[in-house]
Amino acid sequence: MSVKELHRGIYELDINDRKVLATKNIMPGLSVYGERLIKDDGIEYRQWDPSRSKLGAMVLKNFENPIEPDSTVLYLGAASGTTVSHVSDILTDGLVYAVEFSPRTMRDLIQLCDQRPNIIPILADANKPQSYAHIVEKADVIFQDVAQPNQSEIAAINSKYFLEEHGHLMLSIKSRSIDTVASPKKVFKEEVRKLESDFDIEFEVLQRKELDPFHEDHLGLVARMFVDDEE
Amino acid sequence: MVDMEFTAWFGKIKLDSEGKIEDCDFFDKDPEKLAKLVVELEDDVQAVPLKRADLRDAALECGFVELDEEYDILLRDVCIRAAKSQISQTDTDDSRIIQAVQALDDIDKNVNELSERLFEWYGRYFPELDMTGEELARFVSAYGSRANVPEEHRLSEKASQSMGAELSFADEELLRAFANNICSLYDTRRYIENYINTSMGSVAPNLCNVTGASIGARLMSMAGSLQKLAAFPSSTVQVIGASRALFKHLRSKAPSPKHGIIFNNPVIKNAPWWQRGKLARALASKISLAARTDFYSGELSPSIKEALDRKLESIRRANPNPPKRELQTKPQGKGGKKTHRGKRKGGKR
Repeated sequence: MSVKELHRGIYELDINDRKVLATKNIMPGLSVYGERLIKDDGIEYRQWDPSRSKLGAMVLKNFENPIEPDSTVLYLGAASGTTVSHVSDILTDGLVYAVEFSPRTMRDLIQLCDQRPNIIPILADANKPQSYAHIVEKADVIFQDVAQPNQSEIAAINSKYFLEEHGHLMLSIKSRSIDTVASPKKVFKEEVRKLESDFDIEFEVLQRKELDPFHEDHLGLVARMFVDDEE
Repeated sequence: MVDMEFTAWFGKIKLDSEGKIEDCDFFDKDPEKLAKLVVELEDDVQAVPLKRADLRDAALECGFVELDEEYDILLRDVCIRAAKSQISQTDTDDSRIIQAVQALDDIDKNVNELSERLFEWYGRYFPELDMTGEELARFVSAYGSRANVPEEHRLSEKASQSMGAELSFADEELLRAFANNICSLYDTRRYIENYINTSMGSVAPNLCNVTGASIGARLMSMAGSLQKLAAFPSSTVQVIGASRALFKHLRSKAPSPKHGIIFNNPVIKNAPWWQRGKLARALASKISLAARTDFYSGELSPSIKEALDRKLESIRRANPNPPKRELQTKPQGKGGKKTHRGKRKGGKR
């Protein structure tokens, strides 16, 4: 088996000519959602299924990943923590604030938080960043996967409150939750336009790519917040 | 300079107009108390200055904690406690009813399957038996082999002359156990139904009054909660449960659905087809009203039902006869249709 580091903290394992995406398990021996644990040279990796994780798909789609081991990440739409667990693996020296609105899925996420030291669970509505501004510090990266019709507004308002100057925004846009009928291409174009010009903060879109074949009708997007400080 | 105050999870911070810290007032370092505060602040949203010092910096600068690690550990502890307490508060009356409704659906699905199996299985030994469902399960559980059917039973003659195979003792025991289980599922089903009826009466009295406990509970279950149902416009309430037809309508030229699960209300079910759409619209509007009254006041107000009955009556009176169907003005009837279909087949849908 050979191990290649795709990005800091993210690995591609080659097992019998099958390539597998993985992160180093910071809690060896524990599998979070039934994923495979792979041992190599005394190090345990957790297999990362890109079709269950937008971030995983983005990595395989060659996105420039701004999440570094010492980053502070604000994760909006954490769900039951499948992807959050891998982010937590990457952040050996960082912290992730995991915001989730549904109490049912938060139930699963809490179990994960109990196991891992670097996840802060927040049961709140990402539409109202004021309701968790007393908890969340400035973040280097905001990752958002919320499947809401007003995704870009949510991203903008959260960036306004929490994103560090020149911090990165990673978005997964689900066209079906914005308009079930319109063509995804049109929806994506409109969302990118909104992000670039509709809000009082500006974003510079660095990369955008559809996430197929891992996720249908999803667009992955990485943007940097643009700050003109000298006025 | 104008001061701004902002409450963070660890204390009150006073900021100057540039967002720099002027003063900081800590809370006790008691995780339980801090967690309570975090929850309160989430519910009671404060105005947050955009220009503000970073929370971690503030906590370190003012000496609430000395090290980054200490900040992490305490914040994590507080947030986990807060989230746990919020979760334990989510078990509300309507959420219990919704679970019960879903359990009912699960039982229906399974009990039908099991009953069919019992029918096939027991049919090998007593094919003349004209029972299905619960009746059959009760029969098998009571008698087992048809040899045990007493003489005074209406089926005793059929049982003694049956073409069915002999049932061995071991198989009989097995079938009886199987039938017993089905019987107990039917019992549980009744139990759950009673539970829904009684709790709907106290949780949503108006909804019960307007459309009955079971449809009311089902509407709640599909909406997600009583609050959500109350927030829906009545046009949505009208088509809850008809999502496939609705999306077909939105996507293509299919006609819009007239009713979702409110169709099961006898008012609509027993109405002639030309009144159904109108009745459904009236019923849905009163259901919305009832859900809102239930959620926001909780008091039974009989006037909703009375107004509904009046409205339904006037619709019935205004539309006593079926409207004449307008003849489609298509050239050559059938022939035209055929070519149309042929065209459709290859094209985009």
